[in-house]
Amino acid sequence: MSSQLLIQTIANAIAASGMLALIAVGLTLAFGVMQMANLAHGHFFMAGAYTVYALYALGGWPFWWAVAAAVGVGAVIGLAVERGIFRPLQGDVVSGFIATAGLMFVFEVLVGEIWGWGYMRTVPSPYMRAYKFMGAAVAFQRVIVIPFAIVSIGGLMFFMRRFRLGRALRAVAQDPEAAALQGININRMTALAMAIAGAYAGLAGGLMSTIYAVTPSLGGHIILPALIAVVVGGMGSIGGATLAAIIFGFVVTFVTTLVDGVAAVMVSVSVMALVLAIRPQGLMGRVIA
Amino acid sequence: MEKKRLQKLVVPILLFAVLVIALPSVAVSEPAELTPDEMVLLSHLPDQQIGKEYPKGETINIGFLAALSGPDAGWGLPGLTGNNIWIDAVNKTGGLLVGGKRYPLKMFTFDDEANASKALQGARQLVLEHDVKFISAIGGDAAKATAPFLTKHKVIYASLVPTDCDPKRPYVVAGGDITPQCNMFNTLIAKMVLPSEKELGRPLRYALTTQDCIMSRQVGAWEIGAAIAMGFEVVYEKFFAVDTTDFAPIITAVMATKPDIISLCEAWPEYQTMMWEQLYLQGYKGVVVQNYADWETNLTKIPAEYAAAQKGIDSFPLMDDPWWGETSWQASFTRVWNDRYGPGAPKDVKRRMTGIDWDHMIWLMPWCIGAQIAGEEMPGKWPSNDAILAALRKLPSFPTILGPGHMSGKEMFGIDNMIEEPVPMCMFDLKAKDKRIVAHLNFEPWYENIKGIVIKEVEKRGQMYYQR
Repeated sequence: MSSQLLIQTIANAIAASGMLALIAVGLTLAFGVMQMANLAHGHFFMAGAYTVYALYALGGWPFWWAVAAAVGVGAVIGLAVERGIFRPLQGDVVSGFIATAGLMFVFEVLVGEIWGWGYMRTVPSPYMRAYKFMGAAVAFQRVIVIPFAIVSIGGLMFFMRRFRLGRALRAVAQDPEAAALQGININRMTALAMAIAGAYAGLAGGLMSTIYAVTPSLGGHIILPALIAVVVGGMGSIGGATLAAIIFGFVVTFVTTLVDGVAAVMVSVSVMALVLAIRPQGLMGRVIA
Repeated sequence: MEKKRLQKLVVPILLFAVLVIALPSVAVSEPAELTPDEMVLLSHLPDQQIGKEYPKGETINIGFLAALSGPDAGWGLPGLTGNNIWIDAVNKTGGLLVGGKRYPLKMFTFDDEANASKALQGARQLVLEHDVKFISAIGGDAAKATAPFLTKHKVIYASLVPTDCDPKRPYVVAGGDITPQCNMFNTLIAKMVLPSEKELGRPLRYALTTQDCIMSRQVGAWEIGAAIAMGFEVVYEKFFAVDTTDFAPIITAVMATKPDIISLCEAWPEYQTMMWEQLYLQGYKGVVVQNYADWETNLTKIPAEYAAAQKGIDSFPLMDDPWWGETSWQASFTRVWNDRYGPGAPKDVKRRMTGIDWDHMIWLMPWCIGAQIAGEEMPGKWPSNDAILAALRKLPSFPTILGPGHMSGKEMFGIDNMIEEPVPMCMFDLKAKDKRIVAHLNFEPWYENIKGIVIKEVEKRGQMYYQR
């Protein structure tokens, strides 16, 4: 492997890791607080991508305004889903799982009916250029995901540790009953977690709308690698999801480059199986007694 | 009482009067009038006798079984426009004239999302519920999945790729859209625009990558065979997963082999746009060839200057390419399409006409020609698909959208179910900001000279019809 190829592959892997981490973090946060997997998280991402498509590609808004709107749309959808699905089904993991699986189809059909099926919606690149670094070239659209991922994930971790609300979220994630006995409003916390998760998915979808093919089925493609990162990282662990996203970003990118894309899928699933065989609770997950 | 009696008399008289006035207008009301351009389209039919009355036959149903959504939709969805244009033009004359009767045509669609099991579900629905006699399709995995069912029911499956043809699939027909011939010709055109091996002091390097599906494996084998026959050194030949979302590492891997030509082969329309973007961003400087390029979408991701510098070689010409001429069949198709689907038209599809808008209709037309010829032998009856295929095979030549064609394919695919016609090759044109025809090539004599090497390479990859 030449040094230029190595640098280019590392650059590709960093960008892929950043993109995956940004999606996985919101998913794991919602799971940690509510103890329910939101299968429709990928569709929150898709909603963010369509918001940018509608406002930027069709409406002529500046790209960054459209991304900001996607964050808002994601947060609102997160809140609505919490109020409409997760709150009534609190504690019923199986029903929550099935309800969000159904929600995936609702979102998909809704978006398809509004913006049409068929072709992917093309979101023109606002920055049709690449950053060159030691012979490697990475699209500006991918590069900008990296600082966004670092700042938003770092910011979330800081919020969870240093802020009263963040600590309350952690308390609910660790033991909802004890948290309630301490006077923490569980419903408010789950609403906050879903709003943050939705906002992160909206941000990721908005930022990556120029990279991915924007179609009603986009959410379905995104959720699987994000779920793998969350499971391998340890359900509910933000640090674990980030670490797993980095591992998978590198594994998939290197295997695709050195062998091929089909092998990359096999290897990444094998890595997941291996990690779970050794640490069933995931890389940074807690063993529940 | 008088008033009631009067009413009893007047009401029937009025009703009768209304009937007398209205009936003739219903009886003589003609179907919508054919435009001169639609007449040109129908001129490919050998015996349509426009304006002459014939008894009406039953409606003949046609199926459209292809990806209408998802990454492969660019090869399916636009094809509906061409089929609709053809069917409506035929129906405006009262129906397809076969064996002394006019048979109206009707199309039913099913979105198979490029998924083999959905394709089989669609085939069953189209045949069992709608009794379709002919199915327009994309092919590949879907062709394989549907072949046993459609063979049993003797329904024609018109694939876009002749590599789907197989003696065990007597009703799979293809070749209207000149794949893989155009992929093979890509090697010839690329060679014409590149410096020679003598100038470079080394062989020209050829790389191919596309998604891992039956169609790509088969077409890729024929393309690589032609590349080797043309003296290229093949430096990369790999397939990526069909659900790939990140194309950066794939393009990095291809570029690491320093190719002079990168072929995107059968990359689905959505994928090729994202691959072009990565080629541009990672600074690829060589020639790019592919089966089909959608420049309207590609140019949202890359500058036109880049597409022009990399030549952007493909096939599937646009019908509004000036190369065809103002009075051509293609120009008539363009006008009909624009009147119906163009900007501000009643069914505005909010996009430019593509090379796929005519691509499914290209086999529907010969099937209609075959039905008319076969119908001469059995007046008053719609002929079987066996009779239609036999009639087409007997014709030394029949008109197709791309020029005169004939049935062929036994040598390459084991059965004469492929239309062989001139292959238009295109290149990206900076001034037009779209593809333009640069050559119209005759495949058979060229293939005759290279077939020994090509077949050997296809066999090496296990893709000859007798190996599958």
